[in-house]
Amino acid sequence: MNKKISITIDGKEISAEEGRELLWVALENDIFIPNLCALKEKDRPSASCRLCFVEIEGFPRPVTSCTQPVTEGMVVNTRSPEVDRLVGTAFELLLSDHRLGCSKCPKNKACALQRIAKERKLKLKPKRLDKFEKDTPIDDSTDLFVLDRNRCVLCGRCIWADRHIARVGAIGFSQRGIKRKVSTFGDKLLKDSPCIECGECVEVCPVGALVFKKDYGK
Amino acid sequence: MELLEGEKEVIISQVSEILGKHKHNCENLVPMLQEVQNQLGYVPELAMEMIADSLEVPAVAVYSIVTFYNQLRLNPPGDHQIRVCMGTACHMIGGQIILNSFERRLQIEEGETTEDRKFSLERVACVGCCAIAPVVVIDDLVDGKVTPTRVDGILLSFENSNNNEGKKEQEQKPVERGEGQE
Amino acid sequence: MGEKKNHAEKQYQEIKTKAEVKKPLTQDKTVVMVGTATCGKAAGAIDVRETFKEEINKRKLNAEVVEVGCIGHCYAEPLVVISKPGFPSLCYGNVDEGLSSRLVEDYLVGDDPCYEYALVALEPNEEFPTFTDFPRGMFEQKVILEQCGLIDPEQIDHYIAVDGYHALAKALDMEPKEVIEMIKESRLRGRGGAGFPTGKKWDFCCMNVQDPVRYVICNADEGDPGAFMDRSILESNPHQVIEGLIICGYAVGASQGFIYVRSEYPQAVRRIYTALEQAREKGLLGEGILNTDFSFDIEVFQGSGAFVCGEETALIHSMEGKTGMPRHRPPFPAEVGFRGKPTVINNVKTLSYIPHILNKGVEWFQSIGTPDSPGTAVFALVGKIENTGLVEVPMGTTLRTLVYDVGGGIRNEKEFKAVQIGGPSGGCLPESALDIPIDFDSLQEAGAIMGSGGLVVLDEDDCMVEIARFFLDFTQKESCGKCTFCRLGTRHMLDILMRITTGQGEKKDIEILGDLAVDIKNGSLCGLGKTAPNPVLTTLRYFMDEYEEHIQGKRCPSLMCPELINFYIVPKKCSKLCSACVGSCPVEAIYTREDGLKAIDLEKCVKCNSCPLACPPEYDAIIKVSPPERVEELEKENA
Repeated sequence: MNKKISITIDGKEISAEEGRELLWVALENDIFIPNLCALKEKDRPSASCRLCFVEIEGFPRPVTSCTQPVTEGMVVNTRSPEVDRLVGTAFELLLSDHRLGCSKCPKNKACALQRIAKERKLKLKPKRLDKFEKDTPIDDSTDLFVLDRNRCVLCGRCIWADRHIARVGAIGFSQRGIKRKVSTFGDKLLKDSPCIECGECVEVCPVGALVFKKDYGK
Repeated sequence: MELLEGEKEVIISQVSEILGKHKHNCENLVPMLQEVQNQLGYVPELAMEMIADSLEVPAVAVYSIVTFYNQLRLNPPGDHQIRVCMGTACHMIGGQIILNSFERRLQIEEGETTEDRKFSLERVACVGCCAIAPVVVIDDLVDGKVTPTRVDGILLSFENSNNNEGKKEQEQKPVERGEGQE
Repeated sequence: MGEKKNHAEKQYQEIKTKAEVKKPLTQDKTVVMVGTATCGKAAGAIDVRETFKEEINKRKLNAEVVEVGCIGHCYAEPLVVISKPGFPSLCYGNVDEGLSSRLVEDYLVGDDPCYEYALVALEPNEEFPTFTDFPRGMFEQKVILEQCGLIDPEQIDHYIAVDGYHALAKALDMEPKEVIEMIKESRLRGRGGAGFPTGKKWDFCCMNVQDPVRYVICNADEGDPGAFMDRSILESNPHQVIEGLIICGYAVGASQGFIYVRSEYPQAVRRIYTALEQAREKGLLGEGILNTDFSFDIEVFQGSGAFVCGEETALIHSMEGKTGMPRHRPPFPAEVGFRGKPTVINNVKTLSYIPHILNKGVEWFQSIGTPDSPGTAVFALVGKIENTGLVEVPMGTTLRTLVYDVGGGIRNEKEFKAVQIGGPSGGCLPESALDIPIDFDSLQEAGAIMGSGGLVVLDEDDCMVEIARFFLDFTQKESCGKCTFCRLGTRHMLDILMRITTGQGEKKDIEILGDLAVDIKNGSLCGLGKTAPNPVLTTLRYFMDEYEEHIQGKRCPSLMCPELINFYIVPKKCSKLCSACVGSCPVEAIYTREDGLKAIDLEKCVKCNSCPLACPPEYDAIIKVSPPERVEELEKENA
């Protein structure tokens, strides 16, 4: 165990383990920082969702808190005009590629996107950007759960769970750029993949992309 | 994609040979996939599965790689591969027009193969021959200063070569072979 | 240090003595050097080579045909250098099979050097001007391109004969630390784009003393559209790069190096393999190099076509068999790199300077260029410029000198509009920026970057909104898709630019475009994303009027955007006697009117720009108009 140090987040003095990522220190002390792709158990943060920006005194510009180890005396602000602008744009970008219709989504009220919108007073409907029209078929081939790629935010948590918790290797990312998506081998249906329907991937999905069938129509 | 009779055997023997040449670790994954494509023209699912097995990684991990890199193909290409350069110099001087000309003449879109499997059409980021833009690479030959009318000529020369039982192709080949020997 | 002093030097001198016999230009027989780099080949160099060989064999002449790389004068490919005893070595441009036969007949057999076809002489003489007699030669200073096009890249002896691998011997007779100190002192900055000090990078790599395993990688994943410096250097002088990499390996204490090269460059790949094999045979690579106890080898890794793999962490991932996606830095590869070990990654050009610095010293290197960016800059000069090609000028040279003196100005007497510098991560600079000196820091201030050296010259016919769209299209296609800003942000920017170039743009689009650009720059995970908005930011900054024309006037002032233009044949200029345009049209859109003049069926026209080029200059009857509706007005006026 590393030595204890003291840092300040939003004016609150906090004792933390030296070298831990700032994001977890904040969350464990009930200070909210938006995030989607972070997983405590991961060796190295993927830093891909770009939502957890914070401002640290002495740093020229906002940094992602999931990649930032804490050091003695660090002074952090989770909000600033610059941080809000970056987080706002990243959120709007993600929402421009996310199928809404929350009332029909089984994840309604438990969705990470809704939480972020509420905490940061952000609109779910993008105001500046057009929405990408996605109409990817929903994979409901397993008995246990449904994969709706139209709601996926590409955080990669399901893939991590598939590899590291379930140790199966049924899903992975395929393609690149705007076409990047969660796939099975050869883009087959989940029932034709090595998926064992353990549900670990569903547990970690922050949005309504992976949902248990039992939660539908609730 | 359904494999034709005999194709499966060819894939298995080729991939086994490639697997025999390399140490089975992930660092050799991309080189092995490149060799598979050199041999077969594309990377069939069966090959991906065989390689995944030998490296003891999930097949979907290999699929991630193949779909990520531009160079690797999931489907067999045409007999002749036409790659239109879309570098800055080519673009500014009409690369898109050349690509459109090929699309119009072959009646396919970029990234597709003609129905008779004779030609496939791709765009390439830059082949580094900017001084002779616009550039087209046909199979391995780089052709510069291409115009829409020349596009017709290029395709005609292939059609003629077929009518003459591949005579034209044979004429071109020795030069290429000479290259390789040096 | 005392004991091993001059050990490598002695061994080197032995190798050199043997090699000198084979030096190409000092022989008593005639040597014909044909430039067969990819661009030369594409221009027909193979046929030229074959013609020379045949003609020489037929006549049983005492002459040798040698293949060399690229001399940099790409506008005049295929290029041939003939060196005949008693004459200065002469370089001929635009050589075809006919000229080849004639040169053999008149010059090789007879003694007429056919000066009317010669471009330039290589060494000072009484008969013909040399490079330094031309403006280009006055401003150029060749360091890493010096031997390109003058030695056979497939014969190591040619390289050794011009003192190649001498720097390696010198380095091996020094302590590794001294080598690093020397590179640090030289203030050499990385030529891959960002300009990080090379010596510092090497030093960082050695920080972790506990772990003795380190790697060095040459980054030859040149993917910028419009740039071919690295390809040309690898095809023309691969040993220079290899020597630099071995020295780098020695300095940081690595025993394994890699060259990561694009597989789209098959000829470069082949020549690297040949060069590595030859270096091993000479004892310059492998176990106990030059009889010292330093062992080092190099493997080649071929990239599979992903621009993002030029980014260091993505490059490492792709070598490890993963998708080539960048990760957050720190840790930097110099701490945690390939296989988790400290790794130095240097660009082809950066490594090429290393032997020269060791041979000629720190002071010599600093005497070239500017204090903060010493040395030279290599550019692939392309676009609407008279003398396209590969040029090397001292840092601090102005863009104006580069475009007008070295490049010979704009082609076809057109008006200069901009230079695009630094590729998809760089920017477009206007006329007003032409006097800024070329160095890492000045370019950054102007909104562009040095990049790896692509420089595209644009003229009045080039639409700046379209070029911004082109680069966004590129980065958007090459985005790995990992982070939100780059994956979705570049796509939105591209969509907006497509709307503008097709006349669907709205006023608010400019503001959204600018805001998105700034956020993507500040918020992206890796260098590709952070620099992707540069082409948009610079065109917004310097060419706002063109954006406004597209949005408000629905017209393309440069007459380039296909959706916003139409072609029109001016009846007064057209001739009944000519039908050149009819034949040039690939879609049969041009028809003959009742009065015998030609007209375009706009329904069929695909706007391929063939007909204006086909129309003979004495008529010059086909014009482009924007907005497209302008055609109807013209028809009424001319009815």
